[in-house]
Amino acid sequence: MENSSQESHLRSENSVTHESPYPLYAMAVCGQRIAIGSFIEDYTNRVDVVSFEPESLSIKTHPSLSFDHPYPPTKLMFDPNSSSRKSSSNRHLLASSGDFLRLWDVGDSSIEPVAVLNNSKSSEFCAPLTSFDWNEIEPKRIGTCSIDTTCTIWDIEKGVVETQLIAHDKEVYDICWGEARVFASVSADGSVRIFDLRDKEHSTIIYESPQPDTPLLRLAWNKQDLRYMATILMDSNKVVILDIRSPTLPVAELERHRACVNAIAWAPQSRRHICSVGDDSQAFIWELPLPPVAGPNGIDPMSMYSAGSEINQLQWSPAQPDWLAIAFSNKMQLLKV
Amino acid sequence: MDEGSPSNGGQVFGASWRPKGFSFGPYLVQKDAPSLRVVVRKPLVVRLTKDIVETYQICNPLFKYSEELNPKRYLTSPSVGVLNDGYDNVNSDLILAVNLVLVNAETQRRYIVKDLLGHGTFGQVAKCWDAEMNSFVAVKIIKNQPAYYQQALVEVSILTTLNKKYDREDKHHIVRIYEYFVCQRHLCICFELLDSNLYELIKINHFRGLSLSIVQLFSKQILRGLSLLKDAGIIHCDLKPENILLCTSVKPAEIKIIDFGSACTEDRTVYSYIQSRYYRSPEVLLGYQYTTAIDMWSFGCIVAELFLGLPLFPGASEFDLLRRMIRILGAQPPDYVLKEAKNTSKFFKCIGSVHNIENGEVSIGGRSAYQALTEIEYEARELKKPLIGKEYFHHKHLEEIVTNYPYRKNLSMEDISKESQIRLALVDFLKGLVEFDPAKRWSPFQASRHPFVTGEPFTCPYQPPPETPRVPVAQNFKVDHHPGAGHWFAAGLSPNISGRSKFSMHNSPHFQVVPYGYGNSYGSVGSYGSYNDGTGLGSSYGSYGDGGNTFAYFSPVGPSGMNLHAQSGVSVRGSSPDARKMFIQYSQGNGLGVSPSAGMFVPLPLGTSPSQFTPPSSYGQVSSGSPGHYGPTSPARSSCHGSPLGKMTAATHYNRRKNWGYSGNPQSQESPSSQHWQGQFIDGASSGQAEWNPQVLGSASLHLPSNPSATSSKQQRGGSGIAASYSAMPNMPSSLTRGPAIAEAAHDKPETSLSVPDPGDWDPNYSDEQLLQEDGSDESNITTEFSKAMHLSSADSSVGVGRFNRTSSASSNIPIQRQNGPIQAFSHIEVGSPPASHEPQAGHSRFMSKPSHLMPHISQNSPSRLGQPPLQRYNLMRTTAPQGSEWNQFKIQPPPSGFNSGGPRSPGNSSFNNGMPWGRRANHPVSNIPPASRGRKDYGRIV
Repeated sequence: MENSSQESHLRSENSVTHESPYPLYAMAVCGQRIAIGSFIEDYTNRVDVVSFEPESLSIKTHPSLSFDHPYPPTKLMFDPNSSSRKSSSNRHLLASSGDFLRLWDVGDSSIEPVAVLNNSKSSEFCAPLTSFDWNEIEPKRIGTCSIDTTCTIWDIEKGVVETQLIAHDKEVYDICWGEARVFASVSADGSVRIFDLRDKEHSTIIYESPQPDTPLLRLAWNKQDLRYMATILMDSNKVVILDIRSPTLPVAELERHRACVNAIAWAPQSRRHICSVGDDSQAFIWELPLPPVAGPNGIDPMSMYSAGSEINQLQWSPAQPDWLAIAFSNKMQLLKV
Repeated sequence: MDEGSPSNGGQVFGASWRPKGFSFGPYLVQKDAPSLRVVVRKPLVVRLTKDIVETYQICNPLFKYSEELNPKRYLTSPSVGVLNDGYDNVNSDLILAVNLVLVNAETQRRYIVKDLLGHGTFGQVAKCWDAEMNSFVAVKIIKNQPAYYQQALVEVSILTTLNKKYDREDKHHIVRIYEYFVCQRHLCICFELLDSNLYELIKINHFRGLSLSIVQLFSKQILRGLSLLKDAGIIHCDLKPENILLCTSVKPAEIKIIDFGSACTEDRTVYSYIQSRYYRSPEVLLGYQYTTAIDMWSFGCIVAELFLGLPLFPGASEFDLLRRMIRILGAQPPDYVLKEAKNTSKFFKCIGSVHNIENGEVSIGGRSAYQALTEIEYEARELKKPLIGKEYFHHKHLEEIVTNYPYRKNLSMEDISKESQIRLALVDFLKGLVEFDPAKRWSPFQASRHPFVTGEPFTCPYQPPPETPRVPVAQNFKVDHHPGAGHWFAAGLSPNISGRSKFSMHNSPHFQVVPYGYGNSYGSVGSYGSYNDGTGLGSSYGSYGDGGNTFAYFSPVGPSGMNLHAQSGVSVRGSSPDARKMFIQYSQGNGLGVSPSAGMFVPLPLGTSPSQFTPPSSYGQVSSGSPGHYGPTSPARSSCHGSPLGKMTAATHYNRRKNWGYSGNPQSQESPSSQHWQGQFIDGASSGQAEWNPQVLGSASLHLPSNPSATSSKQQRGGSGIAASYSAMPNMPSSLTRGPAIAEAAHDKPETSLSVPDPGDWDPNYSDEQLLQEDGSDESNITTEFSKAMHLSSADSSVGVGRFNRTSSASSNIPIQRQNGPIQAFSHIEVGSPPASHEPQAGHSRFMSKPSHLMPHISQNSPSRLGQPPLQRYNLMRTTAPQGSEWNQFKIQPPPSGFNSGGPRSPGNSSFNNGMPWGRRANHPVSNIPPASRGRKDYGRIV
């Protein structure tokens, strides 16, 4: 193991580690604030907001910036408007998904619940949200995805559902905005589909996993070059790179992980770079050729980082493009790239 | 991100940012590390996606999630369950939603519905995932109505025989059938999944012709299929571009013939109104006896269409069709045909003496004793203007049309001269196929030796080798001994038997046969009686009441199907033993050609179904038929003869009886259904088809006006054709009554024709894109477009207004029916059937509601599938008579005329109407096409 992965709170010039009392999964970065969600096998889970100080390379915890969360949050995300600001003193809106979509107001010294957005018709049953995405261009818009096969678009200012679509034939696992009205989603049905809210009658299948019904777990749309997106298959070591102009056939498959890939993130400052993390404890940064066509031997990562254990989460925030955040075990680690 | 951080040391994306390697090191291949890890726990990402329900339940044991509550993406419309315990919609279609599982109860094989490929009068075709085989299949889910059920069994039996007996190697371009079973009371037939049909192929080519090499390739393949059919004595009866599908991802392109729902054996040509209009042979049009040669005519039309991009004979009406044939071919049907054909007087006037005719045929050029009516003459006779379609070709004659067809762009002079030679071969080829005289028309074997097909240089008009004379198997009388059913003379039941080999003196082969067959079957009649009475009927078919024939036919092959059926208990009405009786009764009627009524048939023109001739009173008899009637001597028999219903399923019969039998006066019945029947019968008596045509025309005309874009060929086809075909159906209420329905059809049409260019817009210089070049280079394109097109076409399934009317009136009928009291047979049917669907009234309304199914259909239809008024199909049901149960014999065994009892329109025809290919390609790379083009209608807006 490399030095940077050894211990929590171990500081080096290039990485910072935060150790939490519980296993971590969800993570969001906003300026210097980082929200981290627990993965506890209990109804009561926890979200902590810590702050990262690049100058001192330290992470500060704030006991007051912490709240209970029902179930492990499947995703955390700060309001894209505020996350672009670099101040940590402003109030930030934080969204979390789990049983429902919840909004939280993160202040200087406290966090207040703002809303619970629940579109369920049944009080007895609940279809959990597997993920959501906040529209950067239209920040009042949040799209959620659920195992009930739908995607729901919320107008969070009004607290109402803009639309709900039966997006897939099976559970929807991730959703990602491309434009103000265009989003994509992945599903247990093995497909990547693009939706345009202006034409709700049609979607476009960008990709279908070779073996039907192999779930696609995560989706990342390259914000620097919307022609490209990346997805990962369940139990697969591949990162599948797609060009939406040529549906169905991936333009490249990155297969150097030695275990399944758990998360992917495009570099916020480059259209060619993507990071992936997996159960092999590795974080890889890939530099894609342009166009991203793989040679006969495939593509090797340009660099790698080994963590102490399976890496579950990855965030590469535009607010901190020099720092990658990964989560493994009960640690959150910031890696300078 | 525009806020790209300044802290970044000035790195701006776009400039070549690269990781600097602060915390990351160079990538090292770890060769020795174990490539497989023991997974102790699932990754959190899996536990919060795939396994989130389990995870949440661990977190909170009270957590509950129900998949049942998920919004469903319905594929069937309407998706409101009103029949069959809520499983079926008002049209008796099983309500399909994505991921619904169709289970073959016997084998436990599961088919997961993924998409709808098409729907029609017969039911729906779904693309399903077969987990066991790890592949997609096309499953035809037949409507939960006996008529359709029976009809579908024909396809099953014919295809099974073709596949297993004649084409084990799958080399003859006939679709493969995998299995069939009953699920939720619906017969489900699994076929191999294919791709787009040839009509769609032409359409995506913007109705420009395909390259000659492709035309040749397809011609060769279709001929292989047709040879097989000829060998098997099967007439497809609905050959058209829509029923020829591309195989998925095969290069070079391979095609297969599908939809044997209208097929019959050569010795069982019971229906006279067959084939989709553009592809209808002159003998069928004229009401002359027909053979496998009618498929060769259709084949010729298809070949021409592949080359031209437009149908060769896009007749807007039968009159128009014939007019086009005569003009383009520069000939007319031979006098011997005209002399015998029952519809001759509708289109021709006799200008010569009959004696001349007797002395030999005189064709063309004034020496014929017949002259085609002009439009004016036709109008005078029929009191209606014939509908005349638009002309697409500047040239009148076949040869000119082909030789003057624009060449593809960018051809070198050399290529042009080469192609012009091939075009000459094509003209010669077509002439041998679209030959008026069925006796001279080339057989598949003869055609396959033509230079156009073989690729040999074409030097002089082709002289086909003589066709090997074959002794049709069907001629052998087959006595089938079935334990349960006694002796059945399959052949004896064949209406066409004698007519087949020679031109009968009777116009109607059916009738001709009658005395014949009857004699034979008579003997067995007794056995029928016993059969009927024997409730238990150890016989396998026992369970299929109305299917006596069908089943028998089939049972050997697929015992499972039958069993299942029986098990489900539900089965389409046929399942009750009683129902059987009913059937038998009918069949007997058939069998007993002897019945007094038979006499009247003789003089009838061929093609007309016997039923048409039966006076209403005979119906009365039927209805009144008591169990005793089952006996051979029962008066009911005679009625059966006449009964048009022969083909109808029990339910139908029932209805009929009600209408006729009970009320005695069909007309007086207000029930919608009676209406159509009425119409049917009435016309039938005197003019048969003719009667229907007017309707067709009428509807067509309605339609046209509403269609601004009527100019395009497509529209023509789709629009008028559709309306026509539907209206022609006896069963279809809309034709009889409603304007609304028609209007609706018209309405829908525009959608269908969206992308169809007016032929006039063609760019003569357009260069054919070699859509299907053997290398398949453009395939992806095509595919894409296909899917697009499909989406379009599949878009709607509106319900006809007419339907509603009907339904309501149907219900009003109910009381009346009840009063009448259930006929025995009927009540049987009721037994064991779900109250909702099998109740007499229900049945009634169902029928009534048929039209509605048709409607959506219609609107989406592509042109060619129009006008096929299966009028007569209904009528002949009784011919069905018990047939041998031997499987594989179907050559001999009359494909129970009863098979067709189905629908108003032969299911076959309608099957792929929507222009939906069987197989839609889901996984194919679609390059060059913007994603948007692959739009699918896969999600519904909920909020």
